[in-house]
Amino acid sequence: MSSIFDVIKKRRSIRRFQRKTVEDEKIRQILNAAIWAPSAGNLQPWVFIAVREQKSIEKIKVMSPGIFDIPAAIIVVCRDMKIAEKAGNPELSIFDIAMASQNMLLMAYELGLGSCPVKSFNQKAIQVLLDLPEHIAPELLVTLGYPAEEPSPRERRDEVIFFEKYG
Amino acid sequence: MVKDMAKDEDKDLKDDLFELFCFMLSSARGLMDEPKVYGPFRIVDSVSRLISILEKHQLADDFLVREKKKIEEGKYSVMDGEDKFREFLDGLMVDFAEELKKR
Ligand SMILES: Cc1cc2nc3c(=O)[nH]c(=O)nc-3n(C[C@H](O)[C@H](O)[C@H](O)COP(=O)(O)O)c2cc1C
Repeated sequence: MSSIFDVIKKRRSIRRFQRKTVEDEKIRQILNAAIWAPSAGNLQPWVFIAVREQKSIEKIKVMSPGIFDIPAAIIVVCRDMKIAEKAGNPELSIFDIAMASQNMLLMAYELGLGSCPVKSFNQKAIQVLLDLPEHIAPELLVTLGYPAEEPSPRERRDEVIFFEKYG
Repeated sequence: MVKDMAKDEDKDLKDDLFELFCFMLSSARGLMDEPKVYGPFRIVDSVSRLISILEKHQLADDFLVREKKKIEEGKYSVMDGEDKFREFLDGLMVDFAEELKKR
């Protein structure tokens, strides 16, 4: 069993996938990891749509310049703006979906899957393709699939860490 | 469990080009809000995608196929800083200029 730090450090953004389906149980577990994320006021202002049908995946892909291959599944991470507005400051909900998304990336890695968070997609097109009502705003895509590449880690800046005071 | 999920081969030239237009238009809209360096990245990615379409329909020559491979190997240098990405684009320009001289 790998430690949480191993999972955090070894997860990479995967952009090339094998042509192999991902088991529904794995997708379910990834979604469970998402809904166990913290959220401001425990509002859970999110909606997750798991897209598994190839035709839909291909259509999402052509409207998403940030997707470079055909993943086996895409989780469309949305904000429910009706719930988000209850927080006073609806922008807080961006933190919530970011935390849920990171949980999914880590869970996917633990299950032997590759994933990539994708922000470069057209929101309006996704809204149309998935019949989303106005208040359900797609914010991030998480692509999933068995990896077909092993990218080396990108550099991290460690001069950003301080103790007690800046500098 | 291994299933062939790629239906790409079934698409005709018109479908392939339509999808390229979707990609280019969603890039255009996205670039209004994205970092400046993503602009050249999307253009070079469009070139690679267009060569893939030509290749699939037996319209690409060896030079283009080679360059596409080079683009695919180097395009993510955009995430390693502008200098690396500029160097990568300069390399492509030299290749294309040399090819142009020959044609
Ligand atoms: C909010 C966000 C949006 C991102 N959008 C994209 C994207 O559209 N396409 C893509 O290929 N990668 C995208 N990434 C992945 C980053 O490029 C990647 O996390 C970064 O280069 C570090 O690499 P690593 O994830 O392998 O550690 C995104 C990451 C984040 C956090």
